[in-house]
Amino acid sequence: MKTFLTFALTAALTFITGCGKRGPELKLLAWSEYVPQSVIDGFTKETGIRVHYETFASNEEMLTKLLAGANRYDVIQPSEYAVEALIKAGQLAPLDAARVPNLGNLAPEFRAFAHDPGNKFSIPWMAGTVGIVVNTELVKEPVNSFADVFQEKYKGRIIGVKDSRELVSWALATLGRSCNDVTPETLAAAKPILAKWIPLVKVWDSDSPKTALLNGDVWIGVVWSGEAALLWQQNKKFRYVLPAEGAHRFIDSLAIPVNAANADGAHQFINYCLRPEVSKLISDAFPYTNPNAAARKLLSPEQLANPASYPPDSKLEIFRDIGKAAAQVDKLVTDLKNAQ
Amino acid sequence: MRSHFPAAALLLAKPPARQDKQPVPRVPSSSPARPGGSFCKGWTLLVLVFLYAPIAVLVAGSFNASRFGNAWEGFTLRWYGELARNQPLLDAAWNSLVIAAVTTVLSVALGTLAAWLLHRHRFPGASWLALAAASSLVTPEIIMGVSLLVLFAAFAVPLGFTTVIIAHTTFCFPFVMVAVQARLAGMDASLEEAALDLGATPAQAFRLVIAPCLMPAIVSGALMAFTLSLDELVVTYFTAGPDAQTLPVKILGLARVGLNPVLNAVSTVFIVTIAALVVLGEMLKRWRAVSP
Amino acid sequence: MIFPWTSADDSSRKHPTSPRAWLLLAPLLGWLALFVVAPTLILLAVSFCQRDELGRIVWSFTTENYARLFDATYWNIFVRSVGYAALTTLLCLVGGYPVAWFIARQTEPARSRWLLLVMIPFWASFLVRTFAWITILKSEGLLNGLLQSLRLISVPAELLYTPGAVVVGLVYTYLPFAILPIYASVEKMDRQLLEAAADLGAHPFATFRKVILPLTRPGIMAAVLLVFVPAVGMFAISDLLGGARVPLIGNVIENQFLQARNWPFGAALGMVLLALFALTAWLGFGRKRGAVAS
Repeated sequence: MKTFLTFALTAALTFITGCGKRGPELKLLAWSEYVPQSVIDGFTKETGIRVHYETFASNEEMLTKLLAGANRYDVIQPSEYAVEALIKAGQLAPLDAARVPNLGNLAPEFRAFAHDPGNKFSIPWMAGTVGIVVNTELVKEPVNSFADVFQEKYKGRIIGVKDSRELVSWALATLGRSCNDVTPETLAAAKPILAKWIPLVKVWDSDSPKTALLNGDVWIGVVWSGEAALLWQQNKKFRYVLPAEGAHRFIDSLAIPVNAANADGAHQFINYCLRPEVSKLISDAFPYTNPNAAARKLLSPEQLANPASYPPDSKLEIFRDIGKAAAQVDKLVTDLKNAQ
Repeated sequence: MRSHFPAAALLLAKPPARQDKQPVPRVPSSSPARPGGSFCKGWTLLVLVFLYAPIAVLVAGSFNASRFGNAWEGFTLRWYGELARNQPLLDAAWNSLVIAAVTTVLSVALGTLAAWLLHRHRFPGASWLALAAASSLVTPEIIMGVSLLVLFAAFAVPLGFTTVIIAHTTFCFPFVMVAVQARLAGMDASLEEAALDLGATPAQAFRLVIAPCLMPAIVSGALMAFTLSLDELVVTYFTAGPDAQTLPVKILGLARVGLNPVLNAVSTVFIVTIAALVVLGEMLKRWRAVSP
Repeated sequence: MIFPWTSADDSSRKHPTSPRAWLLLAPLLGWLALFVVAPTLILLAVSFCQRDELGRIVWSFTTENYARLFDATYWNIFVRSVGYAALTTLLCLVGGYPVAWFIARQTEPARSRWLLLVMIPFWASFLVRTFAWITILKSEGLLNGLLQSLRLISVPAELLYTPGAVVVGLVYTYLPFAILPIYASVEKMDRQLLEAAADLGAHPFATFRKVILPLTRPGIMAAVLLVFVPAVGMFAISDLLGGARVPLIGNVIENQFLQARNWPFGAALGMVLLALFALTAWLGFGRKRGAVAS
């Protein structure tokens, strides 16, 4: 017992002394592994502010952690529809533009989003799309649309991200509807399409859809652009296409909650991340679309040529907050997956 | 049945008094008293192959030069180098060990106490108590995580080590309780009565007679608690603050960015470290047993 | 009593509650009240509530969340989850019993070493272990390679992302929770009984069925509880190895909290799971008390 008690006591002391280290702190609530350690270290070195990085894996999880209120966060990293929902609920503090002079580095098209016009509450961190990735060694036919992907001949060879709202938005796109047009009527119209598609899919994976593609278990799929970009880096046989029916673009942003304890540090952090050379570090680690025009000038031609990171212009739409309709979307997809 | 493994090595620095209360003559393995002896051995080896196949793959992956581990592309130590430089990952591994160790102690204490009291004493509503204790076995992790988060938020408890340990103990101690209850069932009550008749206090009777009898169950319960705590992801997710991120939480994040051989490296190091701790504990104990 | 092993003993031997016993019970009661009962009551309350647009709880009473449960989809999913869990439990018992038996018959220190050997794989993180299974089961994976080189199959078999892969993953995850409690109960079994059975000419199989099985029943029941119950609510394995194709009850609950932002419905599902567990425990164990004690 003695040995153990000593061990437990040492452990207890370790974290008590750990808590004793006081100094300016910044509590960051961000997507897992989405903020490179080099960025955090650089910020701490320059400002002396220690960053505590806590992670989440979905916007809903972030909302759960934030709204429970057990911890107060200084900077959070919601995606566009979560930004919108948080603004509606009065949960975000307005940004003080005077303290974020680097805002000017953002490309103009990233400053005029309907969910937060003029970046009053949030600034884009990285943007991405959801599109089609094809293993061109195994799929010879041209694939340009959702209709090309979900065909009987690819049954058991398709992967999709495990996200009910995404899936429904693809069906809405083939119907020519907006991905934000989620009503009982549009869901009813989407249902027969989804009922045909769902049994064709072999894997649903939101976390690492590239795994099944790399392993050769599936040939074709609808995935996040960042995943497709990593696949392309690995092997040029993986081609990324934005679906002809229209695609969804997501904007991961930085924002400050109303109850932030260190709003000043939060502004400093946001401004720091908008520096071109810092923003480049983010692009190096995660090949999404960098919204920072000044930073893009620093990227290598190889990075800019990645079709998944910087796809040709096409019909891109962002998700708006659909509130309680999220539950109906979930029910529809659960029903259909169960029925197959 | 002195145990020689991790949690136990940590737990049982002081060996329990007497182990083999009923000396049983060992019978040769061919004896009919050991039905199916060689079958069981063969089966055990097969099960070990099943258990270790993924571990072999994992360890091999940590030395594979291939970034995505698709095929063998040559031997490398690169991933261990990257691991050594990845301070957050190492911190997370340390956090996991600390949390699992403290959780194990608390779970053994609570679980054994619960099993013993329910076995020994008549309490009004005892079955409700047992049900409450076991209900955390059935509560899906996500629900437990969220409900504890709500609870901590309601009492304004800041999230950190304490909250994770509380959460882990809550779902780990029923495992100890169930294991100990299984052992207590049908245990010869006359043993304790004899001890009491011979003038032992109830505390002495527990310490000298009951506890050694329960030790295999306590040890297997402790092993389960340690293992569960070490590997728990979802509850930890919701109850850990930014300072108390554990290895599984960290690994989940890294796995999102891509299958990374550094993860294989950290798992390999983790297994080897704990195994080394165990061996060390065992050696220490032997050394202490030899020197008076 | 909920569990067979608490009810099996002669209750006349139990001591009446003394102040001392209450004192010992206090920390346990406190812990249960604070960290088990309180959160459960909060969830129970939440399950009768509504939510706002953002997914926050609105404290106004509704039974709508329970009404939604009467839907064939959820019933199907529930039955499927129970099926997976039952199969997993059966395989864990069959696979684990001989191992527990073998280890319990060893002497120290070999016994501890064997136990340790069984547990070590579980200290490698769950996710990393599961990714290793993907490496084994994928279509260009090790198992397919092995089968092809042995000329047992000519084209790669579909192993990954099938119900079979889910069951393999479940059995792998829960096997130690079957082995350990069975080990604890085999270990305490009086070996002289086996010798007596053999001396009386009992066939080994008869000895197993008539002597060993009843004596180790508490350990088996503990194993069933520790494997079956958590396996019902599992979701990560069906996602990773099953490709998330057919939802299990754990996935549905997960979705309510992490996708649909519908805590009240998620809480209601959790409450139903808890109630069913209590009911099974009562039906399966509590009512057999007389039979066990005799």
